Amino acid sequence: MKGLVRKNVLIVMIAILSISLLSGCAGTRSKESSASKEGKVTVDFWTFWGSETRKPVIEKIINDFNKSQDKIYVKHTYLPYGDIWTKELAAVAAGNPPDVVINDINTVQHRAAKNQNTDLSKYIKDSSFKDRFYPQLWQTVLYKNHPYGVPFNTDERVLYYNKDLFKKAGLDPNKPPQTWDELWSYAKKLDVKENGKYKTIGFYPLWGVGADVWMLNADGTSFFDYEKNKPVVNDQDNIDALNWALKFQNHYGKNTIQQYKAQFGQQQANPFIAGKVAMYTEAATFYTQLRDYGKDINWGITKLPAKTKGSGHTSWGGGFAAEIPKGAKHPKEAWEFIKYLTGKKSQAYWAAKNFDLVANKAGAKAAATSDLLNAKGKKTYKFISEYFNETEITPTPLSAPDYTSIINPEIDKAMAGKKSPEQAMNDAQKAVEKLISNHQ
Amino acid sequence: MMEPPIKTAIHSNQIKKVKRKSSLQRKESLQGYLFIAPWLIGMVFITAGPLLFSFYGSFTNYDITSHMDFIGLKNYIRMFTNDDLFWTSLFNTLYYVVISVPITVVAALLLAVLLNQKVPGMRIFRTIYYLPAILSGVGVYLLWMQLLSPTGLVNTVLDWFGINGPAWLFDPKWTKPALIFMKLWSVGGSMLLYLASLQGVPKSLYEAAEIDGANAFQKFRHVTLPMITPVLFFDLVTSTIGGFQIFQEAYVMSQNGDGGPANSLLFFNLHMWNKAFEVFDMGYAMAMSWILFVIILVLTIINIKLAPRWVHYEGEKNS
Repeated sequence: MKGLVRKNVLIVMIAILSISLLSGCAGTRSKESSASKEGKVTVDFWTFWGSETRKPVIEKIINDFNKSQDKIYVKHTYLPYGDIWTKELAAVAAGNPPDVVINDINTVQHRAAKNQNTDLSKYIKDSSFKDRFYPQLWQTVLYKNHPYGVPFNTDERVLYYNKDLFKKAGLDPNKPPQTWDELWSYAKKLDVKENGKYKTIGFYPLWGVGADVWMLNADGTSFFDYEKNKPVVNDQDNIDALNWALKFQNHYGKNTIQQYKAQFGQQQANPFIAGKVAMYTEAATFYTQLRDYGKDINWGITKLPAKTKGSGHTSWGGGFAAEIPKGAKHPKEAWEFIKYLTGKKSQAYWAAKNFDLVANKAGAKAAATSDLLNAKGKKTYKFISEYFNETEITPTPLSAPDYTSIINPEIDKAMAGKKSPEQAMNDAQKAVEKLISNHQ
Repeated sequence: MMEPPIKTAIHSNQIKKVKRKSSLQRKESLQGYLFIAPWLIGMVFITAGPLLFSFYGSFTNYDITSHMDFIGLKNYIRMFTNDDLFWTSLFNTLYYVVISVPITVVAALLLAVLLNQKVPGMRIFRTIYYLPAILSGVGVYLLWMQLLSPTGLVNTVLDWFGINGPAWLFDPKWTKPALIFMKLWSVGGSMLLYLASLQGVPKSLYEAAEIDGANAFQKFRHVTLPMITPVLFFDLVTSTIGGFQIFQEAYVMSQNGDGGPANSLLFFNLHMWNKAFEVFDMGYAMAMSWILFVIILVLTIINIKLAPRWVHYEGEKNS
């Protein structure tokens, strides 16, 4: 096993080398053949959507586009999520990248600053183009006010709750908690303890989401103030969020928390789906798991409760954007495809088929009435697409590319009781400032 | 050590003979080089190039696509003065090496001694204990994540004995012990080496010891152990090197490969990987790799220098 790491690295290196060599040959060849044989330009499109559910959806979108074109042919290349971007980078460095790639929306600016993707402003003829998308997503793809990607999909965190358990506990199933305090008091009412062990857990804030989501929820910023361009890790709201989470942890005990945490990793054994947890914060797309495995439970969906009344129900999301890598052979044709991919029709289809939140507002709206969804699906989709207006994206700051790797361990230490939340967040703030000084 | 007297005994008329012999030797050495040529070519063209490139790169701010400016020792200075995670990762790695290497070496040896007994069905036992070593990494890690889950099999068994097992992979205090525990399971590879060398110990030595009245422990301590020191030494050196390179386990077994709760599984190579392939700070990552190289080099040299004090090679003139 000792040589394994080195061997694997070597294999990966050789694989990358041969792939770039092969694609180098293939690239030139296909350029010639596509020009002479079919008279079409081939656009190489890289995604990580290879699963049984996603692959047919993206391939249908591609097929529809290809049918409508007599000049462009899009070829779909699937690469596993784990190495698509490393391979893309290698291909960019080798001067032979794909024409379109799906990449992380939070780091579009980083690639722009590092010369890895293409400024799209020269292709955008229509000044209202940006209005097609949720504004916070469009903001994320800008670098020095120029777009370097087009938002494709996104997500958000919501509160799922079990209506049957609400009834059992004497709570109104149509009145989910609205504030952090209500969450706490509801949770205690929903708890069921038998022989010193929990049979039902009311709520624990850090299953399904990280502490950063609650920090963002509290006041609209988590670790970084984008307007002032400075880290705000040790904000009072952030410390409050940790103290609030600790209150739950002390209530249930670390052992119980860790046991359940391990179970949340497995789909069928998910404790919320099994009816062992009454309220659960998760990505909105958790709907598909409830649809497929949770037929027996009567669930509801609602916004994240506000820290205090009126402080806002801010949620957190991420997402992916379509980009043209630097040095792509057919940027003009690539742009035509991106326009189609992020257009209303494709977006609505993707949204309804995958129950995924899409970046195109009209697409999201259309999906909420799509015949591909059942009644509950439509209602849920309508809710999540509207709630997205209260959802923030937290792009990775240019000056602190790996700041979460510093902050998260400090949060762990606070939750493990090794440091007070205040101490942990102060230390994290200092460490992030140090990181930023390294990058200036 | 026996050579010098022979050399002085060569007479002038024998020199021709020696020369003829050396042409044969030359031919043989040419054949030798031919045999190792595939490796040599690979080394020069595939390994040495990137190696030298990474050495130069460690003095630059290389990020693959936008710049590669010479910045002197800045990466190294930053590593030692301005990157807390560097020290965390170094500490974690040293912890792992210091604890896991002795334990796995002793466990492998112990297992080999047990499997060297003459008991019916021994071949089956040997196969069973060797089996984990042939299973591929990631699958094994996923299996162990299940076993080590707070309500997993390991804790269930501990529970039978009234021990309330820890949350292994979720508790920062227990993540590294959990990993070491897991590695113990797959000592089969080095066990095989010990088994082979145990069977190579001449019976006559044991017989002589028995005649002298040695008991089982004395036989092990004064016959077996000295005779297998070369393998012990080899295992120690390779285990140490392998220990410093630990990566996969932490990458697979921590969430998103981020280094586990409170960075307790952030090993040197994992930190380096994150710098290189997560934020593309290649220059810095290259500098880190050279520091790791120096650390391993120094430790290996120390190991080799200390070896003559305890490693016994048969056939060597021994005082």
